[in-house]
Amino acid sequence: MNRNVFIGAVVLALALQVAGQDAKGTTVEVKIDNFSFSPATITIPAGTTVRWTNRDDIPHTVVSDKEIFKSKPLDTDDQFSYTFTKPGTYDYFCSIHPKMTGKVVVQ
Amino acid sequence: MAIAVNPFDPRTVLLAKHAQHVVLVHFPIALLITAVGFDIAGEWWKKPQLSTVARYNLAVAALATIPVVATGLLAWQWQLAGHKLKGVLLQHLVMGVVSSLLIWLVWWMHVRTKDRTVRLPIELLAALAVAVTAHLGGFLSGVNAPG
Repeated sequence: MNRNVFIGAVVLALALQVAGQDAKGTTVEVKIDNFSFSPATITIPAGTTVRWTNRDDIPHTVVSDKEIFKSKPLDTDDQFSYTFTKPGTYDYFCSIHPKMTGKVVVQ
Repeated sequence: MAIAVNPFDPRTVLLAKHAQHVVLVHFPIALLITAVGFDIAGEWWKKPQLSTVARYNLAVAALATIPVVATGLLAWQWQLAGHKLKGVLLQHLVMGVVSSLLIWLVWWMHVRTKDRTVRLPIELLAALAVAVTAHLGGFLSGVNAPG
């Protein structure tokens, strides 16, 4: 009896955790390192949050070509997040170093 | 797909991919270094004409700081949305303003006095400040970037 209750509690806890994750949506990491976005192109479902982390010693920004999102200057280890709710292709770049470009494809 | 841009829109000229700050900044740097060189040469060989050349160089260098500071501040406001700066960006801003003020001070001292005992050390200090500013600016611009 006790064993069944324990298994049931574990299953319930896991189910609640999964449900919680679905409600919050997933987060995809993009690393800024060595003057590049890595990965440079990501494909994600709508509702996903993308989090950029600057691992360079130099400040960078994350700016959408159409200025849909725009970070402040990110120093080393600073992060910027944006949740993509609408499908489409979002090109972005670093406004301090315009040769640094990336793309988010939202399905 | 190519993005249509108006070449006469100030934002097109000043913002990323067309940033003029990194172009214009070379003028006061070169003119200041040349002026300091002429002034030291004038002192060394006792030729006041060389100091006159230095004064004219400094006048143009001082004037050249105006568009450099203006484009730098506009880039901060437009490109970085005026966000509070920290780290290398803040150091570059502070050193840029200090360098510009020192260039104007050196030019003013050239006009006001022929006494080189104070002027030359301040000229060298200005050159040092410009070198530090340029180093930080180069670091920011990504000269160390691969490729």
